[in-house]
Amino acid sequence: MIGTRRQILVRKTLLWFALLIGACFAGLPVLWMVSSSFKSNLEIFAYPPALIDHSFSFDAYLAVLSDPGQLRFFFNSYLVAIMVTICTVITSIMAGYALSRYDFRFKKALSLVIIGVQSVPPITLMIPYFGLIVWLKIYNTYTALVLTYMVFTLSYAIIMMTGYFNTLPRDLDEAVMIDGGGSFVTLWRILVPISLPGIVAVGVYTFMLAWNEFLFALTLTRTNDMRTVPIGIHLLMGQHSFEWNQMLALSVLGSLPVLILFLLFQRYFIAGMSAGSIKG
Amino acid sequence: MIGATQGEIAGATNNISWDQRKRKLLPYAYLSPTLLLLAVLTVVPIVTVFLYSFFDNVIVNPNQPKFVGLENYVDALSHRKFRAALGNTLYFAVASVVAHFVIGLAFALLLNSRLLGANVKALFRVVYILPWVFTASIIAILWRLLLNPHGVVNYVLLELGLVPELLEWLSDRDLAIHAVTFINIWSGYPFYLVSFLAGLQGIPDDLYEAGRVDGANTWQLFRFITLPQLKPIIISLALLDFIWTIHQFTLVWMTTGGGSNSEVLSTYTYKAAFSSYEFSEAATLAMVILAICTFFGIFYVRSQRMADE
Amino acid sequence: MKKYLVGLLVLALMLAGGVTMAQDVVLEFQQWWEPELPEGSFRAILDDFEAANPGIRVETISGPYLTTKDQIIASAATGTMADVVGLDGAWVNVLWKQGALHSLTQAMADADYDDSELAAQIRLAGETYMIPIANFIYPVFVNLDMLEAAGIDPPSTRAEFAAAAEALTDPDNNVYGWAQPLSLEQPNGIQNDTMSWLWATGGSMLDDMGQPNLVDNEALADTMAYIKSLHDAGVVAPGAFAMKENEKVEEFVNERVAMIINTLAHFTLIRERNPDLNFDITALPAAEGYDGPRGLPYASWGIGISANTEHKAEAWKLIDYLTSVEGNSNLTSIANAFPGNVNATPDFIQTDELFMTAFEIFQAGYLANEFTGLPAAEELMRQFDEPFQLYLEGDMELDEFLQIAQEEWEDIFE
Repeated sequence: MIGTRRQILVRKTLLWFALLIGACFAGLPVLWMVSSSFKSNLEIFAYPPALIDHSFSFDAYLAVLSDPGQLRFFFNSYLVAIMVTICTVITSIMAGYALSRYDFRFKKALSLVIIGVQSVPPITLMIPYFGLIVWLKIYNTYTALVLTYMVFTLSYAIIMMTGYFNTLPRDLDEAVMIDGGGSFVTLWRILVPISLPGIVAVGVYTFMLAWNEFLFALTLTRTNDMRTVPIGIHLLMGQHSFEWNQMLALSVLGSLPVLILFLLFQRYFIAGMSAGSIKG
Repeated sequence: MIGATQGEIAGATNNISWDQRKRKLLPYAYLSPTLLLLAVLTVVPIVTVFLYSFFDNVIVNPNQPKFVGLENYVDALSHRKFRAALGNTLYFAVASVVAHFVIGLAFALLLNSRLLGANVKALFRVVYILPWVFTASIIAILWRLLLNPHGVVNYVLLELGLVPELLEWLSDRDLAIHAVTFINIWSGYPFYLVSFLAGLQGIPDDLYEAGRVDGANTWQLFRFITLPQLKPIIISLALLDFIWTIHQFTLVWMTTGGGSNSEVLSTYTYKAAFSSYEFSEAATLAMVILAICTFFGIFYVRSQRMADE
Repeated sequence: MKKYLVGLLVLALMLAGGVTMAQDVVLEFQQWWEPELPEGSFRAILDDFEAANPGIRVETISGPYLTTKDQIIASAATGTMADVVGLDGAWVNVLWKQGALHSLTQAMADADYDDSELAAQIRLAGETYMIPIANFIYPVFVNLDMLEAAGIDPPSTRAEFAAAAEALTDPDNNVYGWAQPLSLEQPNGIQNDTMSWLWATGGSMLDDMGQPNLVDNEALADTMAYIKSLHDAGVVAPGAFAMKENEKVEEFVNERVAMIINTLAHFTLIRERNPDLNFDITALPAAEGYDGPRGLPYASWGIGISANTEHKAEAWKLIDYLTSVEGNSNLTSIANAFPGNVNATPDFIQTDELFMTAFEIFQAGYLANEFTGLPAAEELMRQFDEPFQLYLEGDMELDEFLQIAQEEWEDIFE
């Protein structure tokens, strides 16, 4: 018995050791970001570097939080990310339902197209995409950003949703159908409520992607009242100089919503991901 | 004659037929928002780029575009710099995928240990996904700061005696591509971690029980139960990640700008478009990248279908 | 559910559409200057313009330098360029080539404008397309404390500069004499920190026809060999091949680099970041025995009009104001720039000693930036940068490097 207990102790020690190494790998760069956001622009480049030095202050955070322009970036990011999340969730539920529950003629071809969209390199489409958005008269609007991010997120969201519906027994909806409920009722009243983990997984994934997207947010907007947090960070990189501490402070602040979201929903998220990733 | 017969039957069973037809159309109705969006916002630009790739004088030239057939492809593919970029891209993608897999799985196994309490797990899960919550441009800036010759990484390595002198991580021709790959590894493994965590939770406990009864050790349990159970996830993740890594632009562009031997296809394409203003060349390169990604995309679809069956 | 979706989109559209006054002419003005200037100060100048020109409103579209460039080029390609745009000499050519710019010669003629006050005009095929309204010269910034500690004076010739750099370098303490940013993401170090040496000695990288002249160009070869000798001597700060302009400045501000070639635009920034830094400026060193006027590298904020705008007359009024004595003085005062109007006098020239020095350097030399107006100028710098790095590393001979650069440049010029 003592041997086993000892074994467990050894195992636990090794486990904690490995856990902490992993945490250093993941967390130290971020810790450095946080610590630098409290430094002055001069001290950020000091050598030898220090985690906390005499220049420690909340100035960068105050500067960011007291600037209505920066707060607007947060408002835009929230608005865009939430709208993308809602739209993507609804659209992918419908598409996932069709792909999971129906057999139809072009099913294989269509699922191929939906998945294939992911292999299109976004950077290469920039110019014609830009032209298209201008032509649709949605340049520099939230609509352009929402639709663009839906294009990015939909394909993986549909894969996840289809996978999740596939794990739910078909008897369930067939029972409702026999009772006279239409397919619409079946989907929204029966399947959706029990698919919450899958929906949360799709939602969190979508929100993160929309919150952090940079390249298209930059190209498709041109006035600051439409721009999102990643662009706000970029704006602090001037032609000649960077506002390093404000940039880092804004990054830290910008990452908080995503972190909180993950913190709140991690269990659902992981449960939802499982269905999505095992069965496409 | 045949038409008439069919019509009669249809007339006789009008109600059922309408229901059937409705049932046939329903899936398309459910898919219509998706398809509409994809058709307008991806198919149109792809076709445009595809057409550009066969012309000269597109976009920034007031002259009429000139059809040149496959000339752009021959020019682009035979360029010395293209081959270098292709080689770097493959290294960048393969190394990233392999490392993402190893790190993601290792962390997932750690976090799945029964020896840890629920709160500890929740805490470490959040720490481990940290790199995921930052946008690529911030990750690039952060690592430029860390890997600066006078940055903290060099300082720590030097103090520990691991390097003889301050290294120029992002500007040394022998180091830059590895440094960029490392940054991409750091920023990308959490997606694997979360997926593997999900996968591990889906493996039934009886499998391990049975394995233990048969006298399997930890390694054997891992080798013959965990890995095969995770295989579908591994394949689909690896393929998706391979495609995403090939697409990675911001990270490389904002760390090295493709310099010091770290040019990848995405930065090479960007330069063709926005620095040389050779949009035909850029369109051609785009189609080449698309072809590479589609090649792997087909494998991805296959793996998905295999998992379905 | 679909209704809901449509509703959301409609809501998004409503939120997106701004409400504008119907009667006023609204000019869109896209530039990267507003974020570079003290907050609100650029708007104040435009407010002055609006007050003087009732019926015209100016809407700024502002972004960082690099993205503004990409956006202007993308919008020119799709015919949606802003009415008035900020231009850089490095990319005016590509816009002109695709017919996106309105001829300012034409605009001046239409407005009966007398151009005798303009310090410079950028002409392409004989007509003006860009007017530099604020100029930033690039002298050498020197850290006086470090120089004094080493007992040397600010250098005036290349040999003096090399000797000073050597004396100031102390690798054990991470201190270096010079920093040369050669990042390929932002290859403007080729213009500001490399070719500037050539121009300071009266040299040129182009022939009389304006074509690339990199091979058999003695002044150029000497300059490159000189820069390599600095690298070989170990007096250049590490990380040069990925260093960007802003990092060069950070190194100087942190007193890890004693001398940099740098824009006067950084003046306030350096003082703000490190108020204790004791620095001075001096002209770029010339080769031994050269006593002609020294070419001063410079960067400009240029301005131009979109070929597609319906408000060409109003757009010209804005340019007219920004190049006028009053408007130009105000703008260059807040930007710490030398004016684009020969009669404009920014405040700082009278009030700041360092700027008086700069003004003397400016008057003794001439503005030299051969990249202005060249096709794909940024790409020229990049194509030069790549073999240059190999040469500096010792992996390529001087002749081969210049030969390769020449071939790449000829390709682009075609």
